[in-house]
Amino acid sequence: MKKIIIITAISLFTFYFPLQAQTLFVAKGKIEFEKKVNIWKDIDSWSDDGEGDNWLTGMKKTIPQFEISYFNLLFDDTKTLYQPGRELPLDPKVPDWFRGPATDNIVFTNLDAQQSVSKKTVFDNTFLIQDSARKIDWRITGDQREIAGFNCRKAVGRIMDSVYVIAFYTDQITTSGGPESFNGLPGMILGVAIPRINSTWFATKLELVEVKPQELAAPVKGKKVDQASLLKQLQGPMKDWGKSGQRNIWKIMI
Amino acid sequence: MKKQLLLLLTLTLFYFFANAQLAKIKGTIYDTINKQNLTNTSISLLREKDSVLYKFTRSGAKGNFEMQNLKAGNYYLFITHPSYADYADKLELNDTSNLDLGTLIITLKANLLMDVIVRSKVSAIRINGDTTEFKADSFAVREGASVEEMLKKLPGIQVDKDGKITAMGEKVNKVLVDGEEFFGDDPTIATKNLQASDIDKVQVFDKKSDQATFTGIDDGKRDKTINLKMKDDKKKGYFGKLDLGSSLNDRWNNSAMINSFRAKRKLSAYGIMSSTGKTGLDWQESGQFGSGDSGPEYDADNGYFSWSGESDELSNSNYYGEGLPKSWSAGLNYSNKFNDDKQNLNGSYRFNKLNAEGAGNNLSQLITGENTFTTKEYGNTFSSKMRHSLNGTYEWNIDSSTSLKVKAVAYTGKSNGFSVNNSQATNSLGAVTNNSIRNYSSNGDNANLVASILLRHKFKKVGRSISLNTEQKNNQTNTEGYLYATIDTLNADGNLIRYITDQKKNDGSTTSSISSKLIYTEPLAKNVFAEINYNFRKTTSDAERLTHNKDVSGKYLNLSDTFSNHYKFDVTTNSGGLFFKYNGKKTTMSAGTDIAFADFSQTDLFTKEITNRKFTNFFPRANYAYKINQSSRVNIGYNGSTQQPTIQQIQPVADNSNPLNITIGNPLLKQQFNHNFNINFNTFKVLSQRGFFVYGNFGVQQDAIVTNTVTNNTSGQTVSQYINANGNYNYYFGGNSFIKLKKLNANFNVGINANGSKFSSFVNGLKNTTVNNAPGFDVGLGKDKENKYNIYLRAGYNYNFATTFVTEKVKTNFFTMNYNLNYTLQMPHKFELNTDLDATIRQKTDLFSENNNVFVWNAYLGRKILKKDKGIIKFVAHDILNQNIGYSRYISANQISEKNYQTITRYFMLSFVWNFTKAPPAPVAEQK
Repeated sequence: MKKIIIITAISLFTFYFPLQAQTLFVAKGKIEFEKKVNIWKDIDSWSDDGEGDNWLTGMKKTIPQFEISYFNLLFDDTKTLYQPGRELPLDPKVPDWFRGPATDNIVFTNLDAQQSVSKKTVFDNTFLIQDSARKIDWRITGDQREIAGFNCRKAVGRIMDSVYVIAFYTDQITTSGGPESFNGLPGMILGVAIPRINSTWFATKLELVEVKPQELAAPVKGKKVDQASLLKQLQGPMKDWGKSGQRNIWKIMI
Repeated sequence: MKKQLLLLLTLTLFYFFANAQLAKIKGTIYDTINKQNLTNTSISLLREKDSVLYKFTRSGAKGNFEMQNLKAGNYYLFITHPSYADYADKLELNDTSNLDLGTLIITLKANLLMDVIVRSKVSAIRINGDTTEFKADSFAVREGASVEEMLKKLPGIQVDKDGKITAMGEKVNKVLVDGEEFFGDDPTIATKNLQASDIDKVQVFDKKSDQATFTGIDDGKRDKTINLKMKDDKKKGYFGKLDLGSSLNDRWNNSAMINSFRAKRKLSAYGIMSSTGKTGLDWQESGQFGSGDSGPEYDADNGYFSWSGESDELSNSNYYGEGLPKSWSAGLNYSNKFNDDKQNLNGSYRFNKLNAEGAGNNLSQLITGENTFTTKEYGNTFSSKMRHSLNGTYEWNIDSSTSLKVKAVAYTGKSNGFSVNNSQATNSLGAVTNNSIRNYSSNGDNANLVASILLRHKFKKVGRSISLNTEQKNNQTNTEGYLYATIDTLNADGNLIRYITDQKKNDGSTTSSISSKLIYTEPLAKNVFAEINYNFRKTTSDAERLTHNKDVSGKYLNLSDTFSNHYKFDVTTNSGGLFFKYNGKKTTMSAGTDIAFADFSQTDLFTKEITNRKFTNFFPRANYAYKINQSSRVNIGYNGSTQQPTIQQIQPVADNSNPLNITIGNPLLKQQFNHNFNINFNTFKVLSQRGFFVYGNFGVQQDAIVTNTVTNNTSGQTVSQYINANGNYNYYFGGNSFIKLKKLNANFNVGINANGSKFSSFVNGLKNTTVNNAPGFDVGLGKDKENKYNIYLRAGYNYNFATTFVTEKVKTNFFTMNYNLNYTLQMPHKFELNTDLDATIRQKTDLFSENNNVFVWNAYLGRKILKKDKGIIKFVAHDILNQNIGYSRYISANQISEKNYQTITRYFMLSFVWNFTKAPPAPVAEQK
């Protein structure tokens, strides 16, 4: 109910204010993202051919198709902090070994300094990745859609040579951030889809809350690495995992 | 130094110079209608050639903006504001541009005219977004035409002589069938091989890179694509497997399997005949060709799946028994889905026939305290079993929260067999105490039915659910057998006395049960759940064992009272239970108990004696699991359960199948209660690829069902009766560590294991205890080089310490060693070589002085043939050294025995395996 009210409120002011030509721009607040992973698609890739996958089909029947988790993105002008949000009990739960790595990422990005610090759980390891903020060549398109009451424009980028990222951003939020490590568009990214890892992130609501500076703190715990050295550590062990090994690398490196 | 200064100066100058060369733009954003400067408007520069964002900024408080350090090039200036229409204009910058764009005027969206949307509706062609859709039936083609011929008729599509397709002027790179790329990347395979009449719609669109189908969201890459939407009833095809093998004399292994499907209807059939041990479908085959009914059960608390397919003694994939098997089996399976997959019907029929002939010998030692008997026995057996089975499942997902499953499995079968055994026993002085020659033949039939209905409902509140499972089971067996035994036994005077047993045995037993279980779960608090259950079960058993001696007329008409009985055994159980579950992020716990009231009613129909007994039992269960991290976990559990005596154990009648070793049931036998503790810990370091696990299990049996064996000290004949005993336990534990040797790129593992038990039984009325401990360790090394070779080496060492106490302590200690080497080599020209050597070395003991070392060496040479390596021809050599033999050593109570029996030994076989497919493979589960 709360969600509906907030969305309605947002819809109201976006429709209302334009008439007065007095748009409300947002520079700080909290966005909730719903992350959805299509577990069934992940499972499909375990089998090399369509034949003999009856046991996989059987497994799929017992678990939900989508694993859903929530994240909050706190932002204040040029700083963003993306971290796990509310927990919604899934019934039944998706087993850990289906969910793969990096499901509880914390990402702090300083957009001014173009620096980012993120904490990721990779199986039995916790990494603290300190590196420059992710840079993507975004191709801006004409497509638009509404997310959480905001009109968003689609942009398409590519990471790690071959992984396409589809992002939807709104210029109504002036912070050029986004979920996970995504940023660099003329506005806030409210939706991301990465087909190669069967995952989407879409904003469910924006709360215009006061963000205290101490709340926007970078994570500190974890084994310190940078993107390049993390990738190197992952490549060896994931080699034997076939398709899901490559997907795991992408899931971790986003 | 000077040079460096000069260089620095040059660089600095160059920097300023270069900087000065970069372009600069500025401007102001203005709304003429409302007469105001617009702040926060986003101003972006996109590269003209590919719309990639180069730089962006936002306008300041007065609508002003400025962008510096811009590289020369062709751009779009792209201005957006939430309330205003987008502004885009070409902008060419050169190295020295310093552009003042002045006032840029943008317009409120509200003032723009709405786009005019024109929809054209043509029945045969529809344009839906960027997809052009053709209704296939609207374009007439001849009967039996291929999809290619039909495509030629569609407006805007051309097909050239090579089958290459052009749609709307662009080359088509992909042809999908129902959105799936069944046919690889060559589009002509689908268009040439599918029939036009199977196609419902042809959709032409720009496919948005490979995976965008999942989200329906464009990721930028485009491929002109045709999707052939098949008529639901025309999704058809088949796949199968043919395996033919023969040694040209007595070893053969042939099987044929096929699965043909049309839409969601699946029809599969298989036939197997083999004398090399294959008796049924293996796990993978049963997924493809078997009844493939219900999937796994999922344990959400612990995150694992369990498959519990009905298996019976004849449905195994391989023969594990003694002797040489010959088997024939065949199956037929039908499955279909209806009503959006909400209803699922599955039916199957299976036929099995298994013949096994064997020969073996047995050496055993029986220690009574006063005497020691050594028995040597050898024999031949033949058995034949035949069975027809029917299996039906119906599943109905009534709505998203309610489901019904009805299941029935039935079989009827026949079995027959005969055996001939010769034995001789000697006492500690070396004198013969008994001889026997036994012939037994039997003929029987059996029938079985299991039917169940499971109704489940999940309530809206997460964690609240109810389920009701009702099950009925019936089992019936009837056997007619003839026993002819010639027995010589030593009497007190030191003479061997001969007696002959010539009997006909009719055994009939019927067991039926009905049970119903209701389970309700309720969430109590966050992560805390309660489960309440009630279970009713009634089991009725009826066993008639009639033994007739041959009379003078040569007919079996004299009923033997000793060996005949008719008994009824009914058990009614009412049980209820309460369990609590905590399901946290890291910790999962559950604890609770069932309490069961069991009423035994035993009726001896010969003596009309009725015994009624009541038992109250608790079935406690507790489990604790802690997740240390995603790949480390510890689990501790306890459960208690009862084991009811079987009717054979309880029926007061003697079984003289072996007249030298008679067993008698005990009507006063109590239930056995089992306590079981287990602990597991495992951890895996994913990135360093090393792991470690330990496991342990400890079980204690209260009122364990054991035997009291009374041995005649002169003749060595025994009579055993079932009885309860305390103090029995068993355990096993072990640990294993595995690491990846990175330099060698090989896997190494080392482990320890141990198992043991304390087993009490009675010998001549005295309590006897056997303590057995068997520790061991093993190491293994494996290396796999893809498409080159793989090799695996393993060595295991086990020691066995056994001590039995009757009147004296007897120790039996020995070790066994096992080595295995398996090597597969992929050779040029699609040849493949495999060799597998298994060596077992067993220590001799005082009693077992025969050489027990066995080296089994198997190998094959194969060559892949046909397209996509779908076929393989193999030359198989099994047990090249001709040493294979079945073996077991057994130490229990006052008896130590070793058994050797015949198994499949050396043969050479030529075999051919062919995997074939036609049209799309089995449809993948649909996404919703």
